[in-house]
Amino acid sequence: MRVILETKERKKPFLPIEAETIIPSNFLKGPELTVYEGNKERLLSDLFTIVVEGTAVSPDKVEVVLKGDTARIKRVGEYMATGTIRIQGDIGMHCGNFMSGGVIEIGGNADAWLGREMLGGSIICHGNAGHYCASGYRGEKHGMRGGRVEVMGNAGDFCSEYLTGGEVHIHGNCGDMAGVEMKGGQLIIEGDATRPCGNMKDGMCMIFGTVHRILPTFEKIDTKKLPDRNVTVTVYKGDVANRGKGTLMIQKPHNEGDQHPANTLPGPATT
Amino acid sequence: MTELLVKNACVIDPLNRILMEVMDIPVRDGRIVESVSAGADIIDAKGCLTLPGGIDSHSHVCGTKVNFGRYMSPEDMRAGRTARRGKMHVTSGYYVPTTYGNSYRYSAMGYTTVLEGAMAPLEARHTHEEFTATPHQDMLANTLFDGNWAIMEAVRAKDVKKAAAIVAWTLSAVKGYSIKLTNPGGTEAWGWGEDVSSIHDAVPNFNVTPAEIITTMIEANELLHLPHSVHLHCNNLGKPGNYRTTLETFDLVPDTNNGRQTLYATHVQFHAYGGTTWRDISSKAEEIARAVNAKPQIVMDMGQIMFGRTMTMTADGPMEFNLYCLHHNKWSNHDVELETGSGIIPVLYSKKSLVNCVMWAIGLELALLTKNPFQCLLETDNPNGAPFVKYPEIIGLLMSKRYRDEECATLVDGTEQRTAICALDREMDWNEIAIMTRAGQAKALGIAAEGKGHFSKGAEADIAIYPIRCRDVDPATEYRKVIEAFRKTMYTIKRGRVVAREGDIIVEGANSTFWVNPVVPDDLNVANDPEFVKKFEEYYTVRMGNYPVQDVYLPRGKCIRTKAAL
Repeated sequence: MRVILETKERKKPFLPIEAETIIPSNFLKGPELTVYEGNKERLLSDLFTIVVEGTAVSPDKVEVVLKGDTARIKRVGEYMATGTIRIQGDIGMHCGNFMSGGVIEIGGNADAWLGREMLGGSIICHGNAGHYCASGYRGEKHGMRGGRVEVMGNAGDFCSEYLTGGEVHIHGNCGDMAGVEMKGGQLIIEGDATRPCGNMKDGMCMIFGTVHRILPTFEKIDTKKLPDRNVTVTVYKGDVANRGKGTLMIQKPHNEGDQHPANTLPGPATT
Repeated sequence: MTELLVKNACVIDPLNRILMEVMDIPVRDGRIVESVSAGADIIDAKGCLTLPGGIDSHSHVCGTKVNFGRYMSPEDMRAGRTARRGKMHVTSGYYVPTTYGNSYRYSAMGYTTVLEGAMAPLEARHTHEEFTATPHQDMLANTLFDGNWAIMEAVRAKDVKKAAAIVAWTLSAVKGYSIKLTNPGGTEAWGWGEDVSSIHDAVPNFNVTPAEIITTMIEANELLHLPHSVHLHCNNLGKPGNYRTTLETFDLVPDTNNGRQTLYATHVQFHAYGGTTWRDISSKAEEIARAVNAKPQIVMDMGQIMFGRTMTMTADGPMEFNLYCLHHNKWSNHDVELETGSGIIPVLYSKKSLVNCVMWAIGLELALLTKNPFQCLLETDNPNGAPFVKYPEIIGLLMSKRYRDEECATLVDGTEQRTAICALDREMDWNEIAIMTRAGQAKALGIAAEGKGHFSKGAEADIAIYPIRCRDVDPATEYRKVIEAFRKTMYTIKRGRVVAREGDIIVEGANSTFWVNPVVPDDLNVANDPEFVKKFEEYYTVRMGNYPVQDVYLPRGKCIRTKAAL
């Protein structure tokens, strides 16, 4: 079954829509769902043109397609366990919160908190992701615990904060403090990053772009050749300030002077 | 004039020795009276259990450190969210809820009076502002004196009258209710990175010992005729083997007051550990309970822990730092100049942890081994042991051996060897539960005279009607029904007004704050003492004139005047 939701023109297009009901399993019984537009509860049909193609007997056979001006629709796919959501354009904040299975594919950019505290399934974002991509909630000890997030573009600050399991793959650059407080899982950044992995306790992070301002609490232990990529990386252990057993591999550390404490004072990101 | 008649109430009122009598309770203008006219509003209790409004004698719900707990736990604010509805404000949070969240949940459980466990005098304004925003409970504030420089100097000079005068001035300045000592001396030592490890260790730079602080403050408390006794959080909280310190402390306490205890020892569960390290921790509840049974001058409360997530917060900074070293989680520590400190850290009490299981058992053992329920009150040191919404479960555990056995079966191996919980077959009855949740508190806090905790004529009409008929239910087997009943009252009546009906809050609420003003002769008043004033101006970052809390912070303050015997 394919459910196509195309946004209608809205009087106030900047009002956010809270759409945690848009998950595949909810459409098995039909598209009579409600979402909040600002503080008003609305029928899905008030905001979208709905087309349903075919039928399905189980939620994993349901595909939800979002078209049109979707940049301000928040919490799509929250607690999703199975099925597929395809978003043709941009998507609002908190897409795929607590998701435990299924697939979300985003054609455009994703706003902040993409795949926050995700447990399983996979998210592919063809554009850029905002801050706190694949991270934990503020104050919570565990962030993303499983599944896979792939971002073809860049990600904002605090990408994979509190990462505890699963895999995050950023093809572009990351902002400041990627992988901070990591406790497990794997973070791969193809582009540049600054101050990665502060207070890392476990897990692995590989960065193939230029890394500025590596924290002084990471201990250089080795260099290693990665045969599948044919590159040599510098291997760091850390964060030693907090019993760190994490591994940080960097292909291009900016320069050795970077590790001098005077150059590593906190400050705004350089990207 | 408003009148109310509660009909067919099955009343338990331990202070008046009424046990499950079906009777009517007439109320006029917020007080219980002899009779009301025929035009009175009528509430039919249908023979259900009716108790005086619940009183929590030690709970952290308002003030700077509770609020810092809120700052620190944005993740907690995702739990317990309720939308605005009728008269109810928005609430959120589970272990550190918003003030309205606290107030509504207490009200739903039939609680109408709460004592805030620790108010730093310097930060009293914040506490009083939050009291105003906890509208359904009358509030009282324990005022911290554990590291007060002026007090310690008076203790060193062995000048009890001076200490009493300082207490009197401070209590009336910050609108506090009673003396709280949290790890006496230890919080001051922590300002220098140290702690005290027994009641005979000297506090750095002051050369006084915790034992001297405790005995002097007990004496000062009685000289001032304060309604409540000294409220003590003993030294060495949460350290294996600390029961010796607790017993030594109890031995210091004289029996000098006929009306009530002379020491209220709070959350004693955290002070009843045997062993030497976390590996061999065991329960010493029997020793503690034996001491309390032999000393009518001591009242304690359980400090029960319940499994789950919560937040520990106390003025005991060094203890919280030790906890941080165990958990490596977020933490905070705070120094209140010249007075005290505080620390906050979130915890998870788990059934997989032997230490936590032993702690859980100790709290229950204390309650079950203390013969007189007036001497061991029910509380969790909210939120340190568990949020207060767990009280009904504790009531279930105390009333049913079967429930305890079922719970024990889910604990980690070894709990049985290190505690006596499985061997205790006492099951509390309704009267004992009523004592442990309101009558005992009213007596211990000295607010029975203010009309709290009983149904005598002229008492405040704080009434909780629970949807359960005592005679039809056997708590030993049907403990689930008991727990459900104590979770939500049919009616909670506060000063003659129905404030909650089946868990829903139906009025805005207007609480009072009780505070004490001990009257001290002019020649002893520290405000007239040039030396005290000079030191105050020299050491504090606030001026003495700006220190007292103005009346505007207590829109419905209720002052209790006492005449000091100085």
